[in-house]
Amino acid sequence: METIHYKTISEDLYYEEMANGLKVYLLPKEGFSKTYGLFTTDFGSIDTTFVPLGESEMIKVPDGIAHFLEHKMFDMADGDATEKFARLGASTNAFTSSTRTAYLFNTTSNEKECVELLLDFVQELYLTPESVEKEKGIIGQEIKMYDDDPDWRCYFGSIQNLYQKHTVSVDIAGTVETVNSTDKETLEKCYNTFYHPSNMMLFVVGNIVPENMMSIIRNNQEKKSFTKQPEIVKEKIIEPKETKTKEDVLKMDVVMSKIYLSIKVNDILTEPKALLKRELAMTLLQDLLFSRSASLYEKWTKEGIINSSFGSNFIQEKDYCFIQLGGDTPNPDVLKEKMYELIEALPQYEFDIEEFERSKKKNVGSLISVFNSPENIASMFSRYYFSGNMFFDIIDVLEEVQYEDVLACRDLFNKENATTFIVLPK
Amino acid sequence: MEKNYNLNGYVLHLLPTPKFKTVSLSLRLQSPLSKETTTLRTLLTFVLSAATQELPSSKLISQFLDDQYGARLSANISTKGKSHIINVYSSFVNERFLPTKASLFVDQLKLINDLFKHPYASEGAFNEEIVAIKKKELKERLQAQKDDKFGYSVDKLFEYMGEGHTLGISSTGYEDEIDQISAKDLYEYFLKCINDDVKHLYIVGDIDESIVDICKEHISFPVVNESYETAYIFNSERKDVLEVIEKQDLSQSKLNMGYTTHASFMSEDHYAFTLFNAIYGGFSQSKLFQVVREQNSLCYYVSSSYDAFNGIMLVNAGIESKDYDKAKQLITEELEKIQNGVIDPSDVEMAKGQLCNSLRKAKDDPGSIIALAYNKDITGHEDAYENYLEKLMSVSLEDIQKVAQGVKLDTIYFLTGKEFDGNNTL
Repeated sequence: METIHYKTISEDLYYEEMANGLKVYLLPKEGFSKTYGLFTTDFGSIDTTFVPLGESEMIKVPDGIAHFLEHKMFDMADGDATEKFARLGASTNAFTSSTRTAYLFNTTSNEKECVELLLDFVQELYLTPESVEKEKGIIGQEIKMYDDDPDWRCYFGSIQNLYQKHTVSVDIAGTVETVNSTDKETLEKCYNTFYHPSNMMLFVVGNIVPENMMSIIRNNQEKKSFTKQPEIVKEKIIEPKETKTKEDVLKMDVVMSKIYLSIKVNDILTEPKALLKRELAMTLLQDLLFSRSASLYEKWTKEGIINSSFGSNFIQEKDYCFIQLGGDTPNPDVLKEKMYELIEALPQYEFDIEEFERSKKKNVGSLISVFNSPENIASMFSRYYFSGNMFFDIIDVLEEVQYEDVLACRDLFNKENATTFIVLPK
Repeated sequence: MEKNYNLNGYVLHLLPTPKFKTVSLSLRLQSPLSKETTTLRTLLTFVLSAATQELPSSKLISQFLDDQYGARLSANISTKGKSHIINVYSSFVNERFLPTKASLFVDQLKLINDLFKHPYASEGAFNEEIVAIKKKELKERLQAQKDDKFGYSVDKLFEYMGEGHTLGISSTGYEDEIDQISAKDLYEYFLKCINDDVKHLYIVGDIDESIVDICKEHISFPVVNESYETAYIFNSERKDVLEVIEKQDLSQSKLNMGYTTHASFMSEDHYAFTLFNAIYGGFSQSKLFQVVREQNSLCYYVSSSYDAFNGIMLVNAGIESKDYDKAKQLITEELEKIQNGVIDPSDVEMAKGQLCNSLRKAKDDPGSIIALAYNKDITGHEDAYENYLEKLMSVSLEDIQKVAQGVKLDTIYFLTGKEFDGNNTL
């Protein structure tokens, strides 16, 4: 077991790689009663074409299967994992994103049993044709819930505008049709391929003694056997540089209209440090433009075209990258025009160095605040981990970001690759 | 351990703990919830935190906060039974973690004091431009709230169930009353709040008693000799169940059922009811989730919640319109079983464990620490945390059956699709 001390935030992180390839990170938090464990696999909704473990041909699985698998993971041969956690006084949950699936527990007692249960229920798949069938109605309702949510429709619609080929434009849960076409065998293939320990990471934070916790995890893993896994072969998606569509409008039974402008970024970085630095520089640029301290935000508020729901977003993953900005507005056409004018004028935009320093200070403070919450630490840690970065380094990297790095991010706002998605009342 | 001090016009509550990297302040102002003032009071939370004489715009306040290492300041509104609460919340990084020495604590206290003592106002009125912007923002917020179909349908249930009572008053005000409020009206109401509202200030973080003198120096209000009602048991005169069905263009129908009870935060039955709710529908191990979702695949979400300040219980589920009768029947059957004493002792033990876990977890989050302390302080509930846990643990099977028998369905609000014909049979 290795120990890494982080001076800036005064935290000690413990690390060990298990013989089967599972990476384990532990963070004791003194004074906390809570312990939070997050077990993440590098498998998300975008991973729908790959070579299954032990096979040689690429297969295409139904959209939404990573999410379907997440739902079924809680079934165990001798009962239900949710109930077992409840009997330990703990709670559990899981979530699926475009790129990852994560399982968690939250407890204030029986920490050792909880960690073992988390490992055990995720490292064993128990399906029957009946249990797979039964889940379809439940997932169908989850999909319909999102169908009625205008924020989600606008957010996701603006991503779908951008991609012609990439599976990031497929809804995380799939559709009612793809869910209905999902079967036990395909779920098992996905499981065997993507839930190998070498493709996963466990993070436990809270009221723990690292030495004891690590030895429990080590013993648990030594008892299990896994087929040795070669590197997973996923389909390489060839995405054209152009966006799929320029604009789209959706009419819903709503009162408020909203707009998202999304920009496809074709300059995709792979080197972890460069990725992190660009993300942080972009955060600063977005603050300088769109935070409440920004002149532009104030101007647009006074013009009545935005309100506090306005925001922006920057996503970078292994093979896609995009920017989103927008929110509720009484006048989407005017806001659309203003956002396009901004993009056009952006290359000439300059900021005071004082504004830049202020934004940096603000972000340092926000990052320190993350360390108040075990849940937030775990979720940030695994988010950065799978792109090759350590969250605990982030404040130091932020300090390195220069004003020039921020200015360089202006170029990512490319008008040619911008699209809009508008939700209007019927 | 909490320590209380009666200072100038407010009670200061110190909740020292070394485990957080931030300090959190919460100033709470309590007045009776009334139909006449609810819109004014909500608008006040928008205007109050937008500017001061010294920082006369949202932009300047935000820049000030950014400079304080991303300190946060917000004001929001909520109800506690018959009381309407304004919460001015601030959090900032503990100076210990900052590269430079700063006096964030004093600066934040001064800012909060300025919101009340030196607001951006002249000649008996708030600044016209800010009021106009915030009126528009509140109106748009209320419109967007209607588009969240879950939240909208719960609000509607309260509106119908509580018509003519406190329960039926919207906690966030009414859209059609916003226009007629002037900057002068709002300022007059603001002065009334300063004079009449009961005030509590909470501070959580790595602090000591030296802070008392700093608070004394920087924050003061007129002394208020009032006390306002909070928790109560809602009393319905309805003989037959009121059933309201609204149709919209929707994918998923929202079923909301409101029940009267004999329990509230103030009553001895509070503990038994908390357990009853945990067994019936409060957790994912509860009867409603297990039966309506897991066994019958009718929904993605279904739960019950106990509103201890209004003394009522709600059940919410997202279902297909065709399953309306079946879902209602299952929800009713599960309640009847508990009323008839069909309660598994091991479920009671499990629910106790889960409730303990939730309570202990709350001690790891500054916001929850304050929320728990405030509930106790405004209800005059003597129970300290340990005592509260002990009372929960001593609830018997019979106690649970008894409080369940006091539960009676009062109002159903069903938001459904255009295809619903109202004549569904099982």
